[in-house]
Amino acid sequence: MTMLLNITINGQQRTFEIDAKQTLLELLRSQPEYQSVHRSCEEGECGACTVLLDGEPVNSCLILAASVEGATVLTSEGLVRQGQPHPLMQAFTAELGIQCGFCTPGMLMNSYALISGAGDIELTDQQIRKSLEGNLCRCTGYVNIVNAVKKAQQAKNGGQWW
Amino acid sequence: MKKREDRLIMGKGQYADDLEFSNMAHLVFVGSPHGHAKIVSINVEKALQVPGVVRIITGRDVMEHSNPLPVQADFKNPGWIWRLANVHAMDADRVRWFGEPVAAVIAEDEDKARIAADLVEVEYDLLEVTASVTQALEPGAVKLYDDWEDNKQVHLVFDFGDPARAFDMADQVLKVTNREGRVTGVPIEPRGCVGLYDRKNDTLEMWGSFQTPFLSRHNIAATLGIAEAKVKINAVDIGGAFGLKIHAWKENIVALASKLTGRPVKWMEPHRDFITTGPHQRDVYWEGEIAFNNDGTLLGLKAEVVHDLGVESTNKGIAALSIFPACSAPTNMYKWVGMHVEGIGVVTNKSFYCAYRGYGKDKGIKFIEAAVNQVARHLGMTPEEIRFKNFIQPDEFPYHQINNYVLDSGDYPAVLQKAMELANIDQYRTLKSELEGRGRYLGIGLVTFIEPAGVAVPNCQMGGITQARVLITPDGSVEVHSDRTEIGQGSEISHATIVADILGVKKETVHVKKVTSDFIGQGPLSSRGAVYPASAVAKAARLLKEKVVQCAASVLKADQDDVVLEDGFVYSSAAPDIRLTYQEFANKVFFFPGPRGLDPEILKRHEHLLDVTTTWYSPTTPESGSSYTSFCVSADVAVVEVDVDTGVTEIKKYVHVHDAGTIINKQVIDGQIHGGIVQGIGEALYECLDYDLDGQLKNTSFSTYLIPTAVEAPDIEIAHLETPSPFSETGAKGMGEAPIIGSKAVILDAIEDALSSFNVRVNDSPATPEKVRRWINQAMSANKGDL
Ligand code: FES
Ligand code: FES
Repeated sequence: MTMLLNITINGQQRTFEIDAKQTLLELLRSQPEYQSVHRSCEEGECGACTVLLDGEPVNSCLILAASVEGATVLTSEGLVRQGQPHPLMQAFTAELGIQCGFCTPGMLMNSYALISGAGDIELTDQQIRKSLEGNLCRCTGYVNIVNAVKKAQQAKNGGQWW
Repeated sequence: MKKREDRLIMGKGQYADDLEFSNMAHLVFVGSPHGHAKIVSINVEKALQVPGVVRIITGRDVMEHSNPLPVQADFKNPGWIWRLANVHAMDADRVRWFGEPVAAVIAEDEDKARIAADLVEVEYDLLEVTASVTQALEPGAVKLYDDWEDNKQVHLVFDFGDPARAFDMADQVLKVTNREGRVTGVPIEPRGCVGLYDRKNDTLEMWGSFQTPFLSRHNIAATLGIAEAKVKINAVDIGGAFGLKIHAWKENIVALASKLTGRPVKWMEPHRDFITTGPHQRDVYWEGEIAFNNDGTLLGLKAEVVHDLGVESTNKGIAALSIFPACSAPTNMYKWVGMHVEGIGVVTNKSFYCAYRGYGKDKGIKFIEAAVNQVARHLGMTPEEIRFKNFIQPDEFPYHQINNYVLDSGDYPAVLQKAMELANIDQYRTLKSELEGRGRYLGIGLVTFIEPAGVAVPNCQMGGITQARVLITPDGSVEVHSDRTEIGQGSEISHATIVADILGVKKETVHVKKVTSDFIGQGPLSSRGAVYPASAVAKAARLLKEKVVQCAASVLKADQDDVVLEDGFVYSSAAPDIRLTYQEFANKVFFFPGPRGLDPEILKRHEHLLDVTTTWYSPTTPESGSSYTSFCVSADVAVVEVDVDTGVTEIKKYVHVHDAGTIINKQVIDGQIHGGIVQGIGEALYECLDYDLDGQLKNTSFSTYLIPTAVEAPDIEIAHLETPSPFSETGAKGMGEAPIIGSKAVILDAIEDALSSFNVRVNDSPATPEKVRRWINQAMSANKGDL
C-alpha cells in the first residue's frame, strides 16, 4: 500500500510517495542526498542509521516512515552550511575521530544532539561515552571520538556552532 | 588537510550500499537453517511468482556455469597434512554450516528479493553435525569432505632450534594450556558489491568492499572462467575490513548473476549474514610445556595448537595459512634454545575461517605471554624481571631468531621500561595489596611482544607481490596508485605524506587513487601496508624525483645538484628567485615546449615521462627465508578490577608503548592502536560465537554478539619510541595488528593477577563474568578440599 508523506528533511519540506512498511532509513537511503545515513544491522543495535527526529536521536531503521508525517528530520548532510563542514565535523576530522567513516554520520548526529542540549558545562568523558553507547564503532576504539566531541563542545562554547 | 576524511565527514562517502546503476537488479541469498544436511530438492516456483523476481540461482546453476573456487594456499611438505577441498561458491547437494547459501534470488529491488527468498522451498535430509574438534577427530566421525581420510585439513610440524637440547638443559618444565573462543571481526559495514557483466565484450567489472581487488579478480575470473585481463575489480569506500573483506566467494555468485541476467546486480549483505556466513577466527586450543631454568632463563617450548577451522579454509578463505604464524609467533622477542610446535586445523560444521587482525600471530603471542607470566609467578619473579632477563638486546640486530625470522631493530628493554613508568606500575602494585585486604581485587597485567609484519610466503596468494605507480600529470598534480586499499587504516593519508615529502609538493596536490585490480598486489593484510606498498610507493616517488630533477635541470638550465623541490616549487639553489610551480614545470615538460625542449640525453634514455611504476620486495626474506620483514615492538600494561561477586572486570588503566619505527603519521598510528586495543578487549571479555550441538549459531546480531561500546572501552595512554627499520624504504614498520595482539593477552593476564589470591588460571577467553565466577568457585572448593 502506498501513501503520501509530508516531512521536513534538513530544512526542506518534502513530499514522498511511500510504501506503508517502508522504514525511515529506507526512505532516506532511497534519496541520493541523504546517503550518509548508513544501514548495517537494521535492528536498532548499531546506530549507523541515527538521525535526529524532531531533535531527538533515533535509529531510523526502527521507525516506519508512515509514522513521521509532519516531522522534522536532520541528517548529517543537514549540518553542512554553504558547503562548509559543521564545527562538529571539523572536530571529528581534526581529532581523527573517523577511520572507515561508516559509523561517523550516526556518531555525528548523536553527538550533535548531546552537545546542543548540554549547555556550556563541559561534558565529562563518562557522559559522552554513555551518550554514544548505542553507536558502535569498530575502528577507533572511541578514544578520538570522545576527543572530537570535547573539541566540538569547546567550539560551541566559543560561539562557533549552528 | 585530510582530503578523504573531509569528503567522508560531509556525507560524500561512496560505500557499496550507495552504488547505483541504471537497470540494476538486487540479489539476496537464501541460507540453510541447518548445520549439516543433504539438499534433497529446491522448489523455486512460489518465489518466482513474486512480481519483480528476475531469476533464481541455485547450487546447480553455480556448478553448471562456473568453476570450483580456486585454491589459495597449498603446502606439500613431507610429514605434513594439507588437504584441499573441491568446492563451488554454492553447493548443489549438501550444506555444511548454518547459514550456508543454497540459492540466490535476483529481483528488481531488494525488498522483492527478500520476500521471494523467504518463499524458496528447500527439502533437506539432515546429517550428523560435527560441532567440535573433539567430535570431528573421533574415529568414525562423519566426514565433511568425502574424499578426505578424516576431518583434519592441516597438520604442520615445526622444529625451531634444538628443542630436545632445550628440554635436556632445563631445571624445570611447566605445563601450559590456553583456549580462545571463536570470534568474528565484524566491521560495522557488511560486505557488498555490484557486478556488471558486459555481454558484448565478455568483460566483467565489479565495485564493492573489496579489500584486495587484485586477488579478488584472480579468484572471481577463475570461477567464472573469464580471462583475468577481462575482469576489473574496483574498491569503493570500505566501512572497515580488518581482514574480513579479503577473499571473494559470495561475490563470485553476484558476478555470475550479472552474467546470467545481463544486468548489473547488486548484493548488500545483511549484517546477520555477515556473522553467520562471514569469516570466523581464533577458536584454538593450546597445550604445551615450557622449559626454563631456576633463574628465569627461558629455554624451550613444546606445544600443539588445534584450530577449529569450520568448513574448509583454503578456497573460500585462506586462513588455514594462519596456522603458520600461530606456530611461529611464540618465539616472540626472547632468546630460546629450541621449540617444537605442531599446528592442527580441523574442519567442523561452522562458517569458514578467514583473516582477522592478528591472523595467528595473536594466538602465538597470547599463548607464550601467558606461559612466560606463569613461569614468572611460579618462580616468584615479576613479569618484568623475567622479560629483562630473556630479551634480545638492542645491539643484537638484525637478529636471526630460531624460527628463521630476521628481527630488524628495536630496543625491547626500553619499550618495557617506558610502559612501566607510564603506567605507574609500582604505585598500582601497592594499591593492589592495600585493596586486597579490603576485599577488592585489582590486577596488573603486563605483556611485551613483537608483531611480524609484511608477509611473503611461498605457495599461496600472499607471496609478497606489490606494485606502485607515482606520476605527475601535465597540470602538475600527482597521482599515486598501489594495491593498498583504504579500509580506514589511513593508507591514503600515509601515501600522500610519503610522496609529498619526497617530491617536495603540497599534500593537497597528491591524489591517492582508489585501488583497483589494475595494480598488482596482495593489498593491506598482515600489516604489510607500511612495509610493502608504502615501500613501493616511496621507491616509485624517489625514482620519479630523479626524473624530475633531470628534467628540471634541463628546463631551468641548472646543475642537477642545485635543483631543489620544495613546497610545490621547482627551482635551482643557484638562482632561487626563478621558481616554477609544479604546474608550470609539468606544462613545460609535457607540452610547451614538451619533450623536444628537454636535454636530448634525457630523450635518448627515454626518461622524459614523469611516470614511474615499480615494485618492492623485502631485503631479508629471499636469503633468510624470514616470512616477515619488520617487527614492531609493543609493551602493554593494563590495570583491572574484578568484582569477585559478579565476575565483572573493569579496566582502570590501559597503557601501550609502541615502536613502529619511523612514524609517518602519528595520529593514524594512534588511531590504529586505539581501535585494535578495543577489539582485543572485546575478545578478552565478551566476544564469542556460540554454536550449539546442532550447529546452530546462537548469537547472530550485535545484541547477542557483544562488541565493546564506548562505555566498556577504556581511555588509552600511548607512548612511542622510534627505532627505524633498516629494511623498509621509509624506516616504518607494519603495526596494524599489534594493538589487538597485546590487548587480549594483557587483559587476561591482569585478571589472573587480580585473582592471584584465589590461585586461578585465566587461560580461556573470553573471560565473561560467568566464567570468572566459575573459576573463583572452582578455586575456592579446590582450596577447601586441600584443607
Ligand atoms: S542500522 Fe539502524 S541501528 Fe543498525
Ligand atoms: S570509523 Fe569505522 S566503524 Fe567507526
